[in-house]
Amino acid sequence: MNFDFTEEEKNLQKEVVDFIKQEITPEVFDETENFGDIYGGPEARKIIKKIGDKGWLTPTWPKEYGGLEASEIVNYVIREEIAYHGLPFGFVAAHMAGPTILRFGSDETKKAWLPRISSGELEFALGYTEPQAGSDLSAIVMEAKDMGDHFIVNGTKLFNTSCHLADYHWLAARTDFDVPGYKGMSMMIVDMKSDGITINPMITMAGWQTNEVSYVNVKVPKENLVGELNKGFYYLMAALDFERMFPLGKYRRIFDEMVQYAKETVVNGVPLSKDPIIRQKMSQLAIEIEVTRLLYYQLAHILDKGGIPNYQSSMEKTFSTETAQRIVNVGMDVLGLYGQLKKESKWVKLKGQVEKNYRSSVVETIYAGTSEIQRNIIATRGLGLPRK
Amino acid sequence: MDYDLNKEQNLIKKTAREFLSKECDSLFVRDMEKDEKGFSPKIWNKLSELGWLGLIFPDEYGGLSGSYLDLVVLLMEMGYRCMPGPFFSTVVLGGITLMEAGSEEQKKDILTKISDGELFVTLAITEMSAGYTPDKINVKAEKNKDGFVINGTKLFVPDAHIADKIICVVRTTESDNKKDGITLFIVDQKSKGLEITPLDTFAGDKLSEINFNNVCVTEKDIIGEQDNGWTVVDKVIQLAAIGKCAEMVGGGERAMEIAIENSKGREQFGRKVGSFQAVQHHCANILTYLDTSRMMTYQAAWKISEGLPFDTNIAMTKAWVSDSCRQLVALSHQVMGGLGFMEEYDLQLFFRKTKAAGVYYGNADFYRDVLAEKIGL
Repeated sequence: MNFDFTEEEKNLQKEVVDFIKQEITPEVFDETENFGDIYGGPEARKIIKKIGDKGWLTPTWPKEYGGLEASEIVNYVIREEIAYHGLPFGFVAAHMAGPTILRFGSDETKKAWLPRISSGELEFALGYTEPQAGSDLSAIVMEAKDMGDHFIVNGTKLFNTSCHLADYHWLAARTDFDVPGYKGMSMMIVDMKSDGITINPMITMAGWQTNEVSYVNVKVPKENLVGELNKGFYYLMAALDFERMFPLGKYRRIFDEMVQYAKETVVNGVPLSKDPIIRQKMSQLAIEIEVTRLLYYQLAHILDKGGIPNYQSSMEKTFSTETAQRIVNVGMDVLGLYGQLKKESKWVKLKGQVEKNYRSSVVETIYAGTSEIQRNIIATRGLGLPRK
Repeated sequence: MDYDLNKEQNLIKKTAREFLSKECDSLFVRDMEKDEKGFSPKIWNKLSELGWLGLIFPDEYGGLSGSYLDLVVLLMEMGYRCMPGPFFSTVVLGGITLMEAGSEEQKKDILTKISDGELFVTLAITEMSAGYTPDKINVKAEKNKDGFVINGTKLFVPDAHIADKIICVVRTTESDNKKDGITLFIVDQKSKGLEITPLDTFAGDKLSEINFNNVCVTEKDIIGEQDNGWTVVDKVIQLAAIGKCAEMVGGGERAMEIAIENSKGREQFGRKVGSFQAVQHHCANILTYLDTSRMMTYQAAWKISEGLPFDTNIAMTKAWVSDSCRQLVALSHQVMGGLGFMEEYDLQLFFRKTKAAGVYYGNADFYRDVLAEKIGL
């Protein structure tokens, strides 16, 4: 047993922190905030390329595809540290679609896409959810009709965040309607600039944009099919497994700033940090942050041993996102009336980060599988409980 | 990072699971709750033969020189079977106190006898104020020409009714800094003026009140330095807190198994109870509490074993595990339904033991406040 990083990992951690402190500008930070993520904006693209050049977008990938052939622990360290220092990143291309292509794609597909993904040149947006297919993704009805050398795609996607910023759509569509959904779905990569795609913005309570994306007779070349025809649902499930690792870094940072605030804010001559209730609540958060850290690096440990995290990913996803919500909820209580002030307001505290994330964290226990879906997975996969 | 036990630790785990499932079934646990002594000499001798009484003692005292992490692995298995008896008081409380601060002579004598299964030891910390901080130590020892005279009352002392030696945490000098002026004395149970009254507890733990009525001890009975005992006690309390976490994790694992097994077998509304999502979500939470409690306990024990700073981890771990394992067992009851409430089913054993373990050596609220200090609040 060993709960420490190796010297090499510690050095890398330091290198990442130094890099990000040096490179992150107020402009990147603002852009990231406005878009809800570090994604696709002009400032973000500059810094992502630099991260890509270092191999840090895809450190575990083979060198021929732009990786470092490093351990998963390294990958997890990079993502946690970068998130802590203000760029919470989880890219569809590098972290969800890329690993799926690496595992299931043909040589041609790998060569065509992976180097451009690992270098940070390309950005993908997720294309799973539809109005009638949320938690139940097997209910997707977007149609991709086989036309020989291409598909013609028709249908509507919902909550497809970042489509207005990304270069390509990582799209799940039905290629066979005569079988159940999970047997008749295919994954394909679609150029967002294709004729027939319309993006309608949907503004979230967090202020940033997600989208309704409609496809009318969109032509997608056959070579953009990922893996085998009609195996898409399995690839999608695999991609979801890659997605289910949630670095808590961003919220850990907010927590550290809350601690500082509680120490510095004096009410009636007594610092908030001496209030017994605040001490109990904030200590509990510190504990949950540590618990999340162990769950998070456990996933890397399992992967590095050659295993595949099973229910553990669901456990980490649920615990991490629920902890995130508890952090900002306690933060709002600690700030009291000041908590409601937005970033630009007079008297605002902690740059409005607490209220901003209080709003945006709501979706984290919903996307990538709701907490309820995750608990179903933990119960059935982790404990072998019967499905019916 | 490596979350796995090593080969030796896996062997301890496997051996202990087999041994205890044979020697320590739940009927035996119930018998021992009612038994005046609360343990079986037969099992005690076997624990000695297996080397577990001296697992963490150096080999010169008949031990196996194991790490604290090794001990935690064993304690988890003891928790899994609710093993009754004075193992915790003798090995963890008594043994570690002596390892930390005992003189060569004291260690040679007492640790060797513990390893051989010949001696029971306990540690008397708490009093009527029922807390684990130095300001709560008010039993006094006054110096006279022959040594010291102890007066006062210790409460909630585990296994004092059978302990041959009771290590007493006593105030020898009044001081503004409450950590100063505390001394540890080894008191023989047969000492004149010592009166032991067993208490009746809900978890079946054997706790006692000890009244000291002019009990005489000498300088030779001091463990460590006079007036400087608190640092030792403080460390033992922290290690004991992790020991209790290990017991809770082991017990939690068993409680979960009982509830899950039941939910896979029992049918209502024409389907398995475990197939209902409301039940499944309880079960998912149970597994989350268990996995996280185990990881936190291992990490804290690993830090202790590696000689790394551990105060913060111990505070986090005892708070997390006390709350989580309690919640885990409570949810297991909810999953199991009415049967779990019956005395003859085993789940109730864990409901009681877990709450008691959660309170020993500092409950969750206590450690959250300790932690607040450590994170700068």
